Amino acid sequence: MNEPQAARATHIGRTLVIASNTFTQLVRMKVFYFLAVFGVIAIASNFFDMPQHTGPEAIGANVLRSIKSWSLGAMTLFSVVLAVVATALLLPKDVEDRTLYTILAKPVPRLDYLAGKLLGVLALIFVSLLAMDILMTAVLHIRTQIVLDQQMTLAAAMGYTEEARESLRAETLAQGPNWSLQAAVLAVFLRAAVIAAVAMLVSTFSTSTLFTAVISFLIYFIGHFQADLRSAWLAGGADGEGWIARGVSLLVSLILPDFQLFNVVDAVIEGQLVSIAVMAKLIGVGLFYVIFYTLCSWLIFAEKEF
Amino acid sequence: MAREMEEKTTPAVEIENLVKDFRTSFRRLPLRAVNGVSIRIMPGEVYGLIGPNGSGKSTTMKALLGLLAPTAGRCAIFGRDSLKVDSRMDVGFLPENPYFYKHLSGAETLAFYGKLCGLRGKALRERIGELLELVDLEGARHRRVGGYSKGMLQRIGLAQALVQEPRLLILDEPTAGVDPVGSRQIRDLVMRLRERGITVFLCSHLLEQVQEVCDHVGIIYEGRMIREGRLEDLIAIEDQTEIILKDADETLVAAVRELVAGHPGKASIIREGRPKTTLERLFLRETIGREDH
Repeated sequence: MNEPQAARATHIGRTLVIASNTFTQLVRMKVFYFLAVFGVIAIASNFFDMPQHTGPEAIGANVLRSIKSWSLGAMTLFSVVLAVVATALLLPKDVEDRTLYTILAKPVPRLDYLAGKLLGVLALIFVSLLAMDILMTAVLHIRTQIVLDQQMTLAAAMGYTEEARESLRAETLAQGPNWSLQAAVLAVFLRAAVIAAVAMLVSTFSTSTLFTAVISFLIYFIGHFQADLRSAWLAGGADGEGWIARGVSLLVSLILPDFQLFNVVDAVIEGQLVSIAVMAKLIGVGLFYVIFYTLCSWLIFAEKEF
Repeated sequence: MAREMEEKTTPAVEIENLVKDFRTSFRRLPLRAVNGVSIRIMPGEVYGLIGPNGSGKSTTMKALLGLLAPTAGRCAIFGRDSLKVDSRMDVGFLPENPYFYKHLSGAETLAFYGKLCGLRGKALRERIGELLELVDLEGARHRRVGGYSKGMLQRIGLAQALVQEPRLLILDEPTAGVDPVGSRQIRDLVMRLRERGITVFLCSHLLEQVQEVCDHVGIIYEGRMIREGRLEDLIAIEDQTEIILKDADETLVAAVRELVAGHPGKASIIREGRPKTTLERLFLRETIGREDH
C-alpha cells in the first residue's frame, strides 16, 4: 500500500483520457439524435427541384445544388451550435459539481484538462460530420447518376453533338460528389473547431453558461465581418473614419477570428473547385486559431482559483 | 534504508504561515479567509481540522492542493511544493458534496481517475476491483453514478481519492449530508486506512466523529488556528479519573464509595450513575442491528 503503483502519465495520455471521457459524456447526452434529423434533411432536399427553363442543362442541376446547400447548411448549424453549447456547458458544470477539484487534485496540469475537453468536443463534431458527410455523399451520388441519365436521354433526343454532351456531363459531375465537397466539409469542421476554442476561452472567465454561449455566437457573427474591418484599418482612415471606428476595427481584427476565409463552402455549393493551396491555407489558419485561443484559455485558467 | 528514513521524517503536510485573501469588490478591503495558519502532519497521523462555517477550513485544504494560490506562506505535500503538479501524485482528495460524471458507472469512474494517474490494463482492473470491495460498492459496479445515493457518492469519492494509492488522503466534510449508517461506514473506512499507515487530513463539523478517528486536532476560528495538538492532550481532564464497572451490585458500589471516603487526601466522587449510550449507537443498533462498544 505504501508504494504507489501508478506510472507517471504523459501529457498526451492524460489529454486523451479527458478527451475520451468528454466524448462519451456528450454521446450519452444523446447528441447523435441530430443525425436522424440530418437524414431527413438530406432526403427531403431531393424534392426541392425548381427548374427555371426547359432543356437538358436545367434538369436536376438545381436539385444537386439543393442537396449540397441543405446538407452543408445543416452541418454548419449542427457543428457551430454543438461547438458553442457543449464547450460552454462542460467547463462550468465541472466547477459547479466540484468534479474539477477531483481532477485537478490528481497530477493533471491545467493545460491537459483544457486540451482534453476541447479535443473531446472536436472528436464528437468530427464523427458527426463524418456520418453526415457519408450520408450526403451517398444521396448526392445516387441523385447525380439519375440526373445524368435523364440529361443524356434528353440531350440525345434534342440532337446534341457528342462534344456538347461531354461538356454537359462534365458540368453535371462538377455538381456531384467530388474532392471539393469533402474540402467543404473539412472547412465546416475547421470553422466549428475555431468557434469551440473561442467558446472555451470565453468560458474560462465567464460566470455563466448563457453568457459564454451568447458571447461566442456574437463572435461567430462578427467574425464574418472581420476581414472588412481589417481592410478598414489597413486603409488607414482613407474613407474618413474617425479614430473610434479605426480603434474598433483594429481591436476586432486583432482579437477575433476571420470566418470569411471559410466561405469556400458557398463556392463548393455553386459547383466551383477548391484548390489544394486554398485548403492548405485554411487548415493552417484554422490550426493557428485553435492553438492560439487554447493557449489564451490556458493563460487565464492557470491563474484561476477554485 | 536512507529513503525509508527520509519518508518517515518528511512531514506529509507542511503548511507554513498560510495567508489567503479574497478580493471582494472594488474599493472594499480584501477578505482574509486564512490568517497565518501553520499545520504540520507527520506520516501515519490522522489530523482533524475543526471550526465553524466560514472559518477557513476548506480554503486551507484547497491551498494545500494547489487549487488556490496562497497570498503569503507556503504549503507542501511530502516536501513538494503544492503549486507543483508533481505534489499531487501522492495525494487523494474528496471534496465536500462531490458529484461525479453521471454518465459513468462506478467502475468507469474509477477507471477514469486511475488512467489520469497513469494506471493501465491489468493493474488498473485489479485496483478497481480492490477499491470497490473496500468501499462496499461491488454490487453497484455497473450502475451509473447518477443513480447513486449520497452515501454511495461519498464512498465512490473516497475510492477515487485512493485510486493511485496515495500516502496522504484529504477529506473535506466526508460525512456531510450522509445518514448515520453511511456516516459510520465512512468512519470505519478512515479507521481502516489509518491502520494501513495512510496519513489522513480531514475537516468535519461532526465533532464526535473527529474525536473517534483523529489522533491530532486543530481548531480554526475566523481564519486563525486557536488550538492544536494531540487529541488526548487537548481533551483530557488532568485531575479526574474514570472507572466504568460492569455487573457491579450495590454492595460493591457502596464499598467503592467507602474506600474513596476513607482514603487520605482530597479525592472525591463527582458523579455516579449509569452511562448513557449515544443516540447514534441506539440508531445503529435499532436499524442495522450493529453493536458498538
